Amino acid sequence: MNWLSDNVNLLSLIGAAAIIIITGFVAGKYIKQMKTDKSTGELTGDDWDGIGEYKNPLPMGWAIMFLLTTIWAIWYFLAGYPLNAYSQIGEYNEEVQAYNDRFESKWSNADKETLKQMGKGVFFVQCAPCHGITGDGINGKAQDLTAWATEDFIVHTIVNGTKGSNYPLGEMPAGLLDEESAKAVAAYMVEKISKTGQSKNPDLVATGEALWATCSACHGEDGKGMEGSAPDLTTYGHAEFVVEVLNRGKVGVIGNMPAFNDGRLTGIQKQAVGEYILSLTE
Amino acid sequence: MFHWLEKNPFFFAVGVFVVIAYAGIVEILPDFAERARPVEGRKPYTVLQLAGRDVYIKDSCNACHSQLIRPFKSETDRYGMYSLSGEFAYDRPFLWGSKRTGPDLMRVGNYRTTDWHENHMLDPTSIVPGSIMPAYKHMFNNVADIETAYAEAYTVKKVFNVPYDQPDMPKLGTWDEAQKAVLEEAKPIVEAMKSQEVKEAYARGEIKEIVAIIAYLNSLK
Ligand code: HEC
Ligand code: HEC
Ligand code: HEC
Repeated sequence: MNWLSDNVNLLSLIGAAAIIIITGFVAGKYIKQMKTDKSTGELTGDDWDGIGEYKNPLPMGWAIMFLLTTIWAIWYFLAGYPLNAYSQIGEYNEEVQAYNDRFESKWSNADKETLKQMGKGVFFVQCAPCHGITGDGINGKAQDLTAWATEDFIVHTIVNGTKGSNYPLGEMPAGLLDEESAKAVAAYMVEKISKTGQSKNPDLVATGEALWATCSACHGEDGKGMEGSAPDLTTYGHAEFVVEVLNRGKVGVIGNMPAFNDGRLTGIQKQAVGEYILSLTE
Repeated sequence: MFHWLEKNPFFFAVGVFVVIAYAGIVEILPDFAERARPVEGRKPYTVLQLAGRDVYIKDSCNACHSQLIRPFKSETDRYGMYSLSGEFAYDRPFLWGSKRTGPDLMRVGNYRTTDWHENHMLDPTSIVPGSIMPAYKHMFNNVADIETAYAEAYTVKKVFNVPYDQPDMPKLGTWDEAQKAVLEEAKPIVEAMKSQEVKEAYARGEIKEIVAIIAYLNSLK
């Protein structure tokens, strides 16, 4: 009898047995009383269809409890409830505040791998409905993130232009350079501006540097975007760039991506989802 | 002490009523006086949004979708800020719903867009594999009932003093003005859509139900 070793089960059983026994005794007592008792005492004189009422004084304990409860009720109605009612919103605010503080202190120095794992969860909830579970953009319905922010994608951006994130400089026009020159600029950008690693075409870096003037008109000599007039390309290919996209949203050629600036994601979560989607191109 | 009450059912009933009504006064009236007022910045629905809301009700979206975010972290993480009673001030009837077969839609305008809705309403599984939400292809054929929506807005304006036509509030105007305003409001939505059928209908001056419901969903913030 394994389940008897559980305290709660044992106590419940003992309790149940006690209740049955006590019920038996009490019921027995009253049944006997009903058989033998005769009614005596003074009646109040009220008569409800043949049923009368004894003049019994209130039991003292009961009367005191009744009075106390009444006093408490008056206090509760007039002051207790109206003045310091429980607030679900208040409790929510406190809980969330405490949670966010803990979250912040626990993950503020998280490494890339941890962020990536966290970002994966965020991605499935917030981004997958549009970008697809694998991030492929569901047949062109949103940006294909498995091919985004790569060197080839920079070429694609230069040739086709881009728009929709509401920068003061507006759109980046299509056809700034032909495909060959674009490749060179992309090589230069990868190695010298955004510094995401080795270019596929290292021999083109020098050519790209010479052509960078086309871009510096808007993005600045250093690629930093001239104080917010255009995107800061030194962050391109890093999570910071994704955070910027999330803060701004994008009404582009493919479709309309809403901004994530209503507090659903914390800064760390945005960073995390950035790390995750950038890992999709690897 | 209260012996006479027992013999006078009428006064007994009055006594019971007073006790219960007091609780009502303490618990309900403060909410009516304050929290149920429209929150600042809340505006009544435009005619096009109302037409979309009617489609929402007609097609029973509220059977599967709630519009009420509770103050729990798990909900606010996913849907955004919890709901306040003042946010429902212009909802007649409110569409809180009672069951979440699908996700809450109270603030879906913050994180879904026109093109997404178009794809999703046409064929939910093309976007969300395994979605059990029905496709609403007929919305691309049916014409939205703008007239009823206008009548609704007009009625609540006259009867309940809903603040149409006031500074910073949606304009209602005459029926002719309203029709123009509806076409104007529908324009960016139609432009963001792909369906040729919807665009052609718009060129003829017709607004399909899908346009109205997207206008409504986009307004949910
Ligand atoms: C006319 C100004 C202008 C010029 C010239 C220009 N850009 Fe841009 N660029 C922009 C703006 C504005 C954006 C942001 C577009 C948006 O709203 O998303 C942008 C965005 C980008 C992006 C980010 C695209 C994305 O996916 O978000 C890259 C990469 C880029 N530019 C590279 C370049 C390169 C390389 C050149 C030189 C060949 C260049 N740009 C020239 C204005 C310009
Ligand atoms: C409502 C649908 C939707 C949701 C939700 C969404 N996106 Fe997007 N996203 C898009 C669309 C559409 C584009 C393409 C915009 C264009 O260039 O036309 C896009 C583009 C992007 C881009 C490329 C931006 C650029 O500058 O080229 C990134 C990065 C991105 N999304 C990341 C995310 C992340 C991360 C999330 C989740 C936190 C997310 N998106 C959620 C629809 C969505
Ligand atoms: C049978 C139940 C059902 C009905 C009826 C229904 N839906 Fe859904 N809906 C779902 C389910 C389940 C999902 C989640 C899967 C998905 O995104 O397709 C969903 C998702 C959605 C979403 C995406 C929300 C999000 O956060 O991703 C929107 C918007 C939506 N429905 C709108 C509507 C509208 C508008 C109607 C009425 C025309 C409607 N639904 C009717 C079940 C339903």
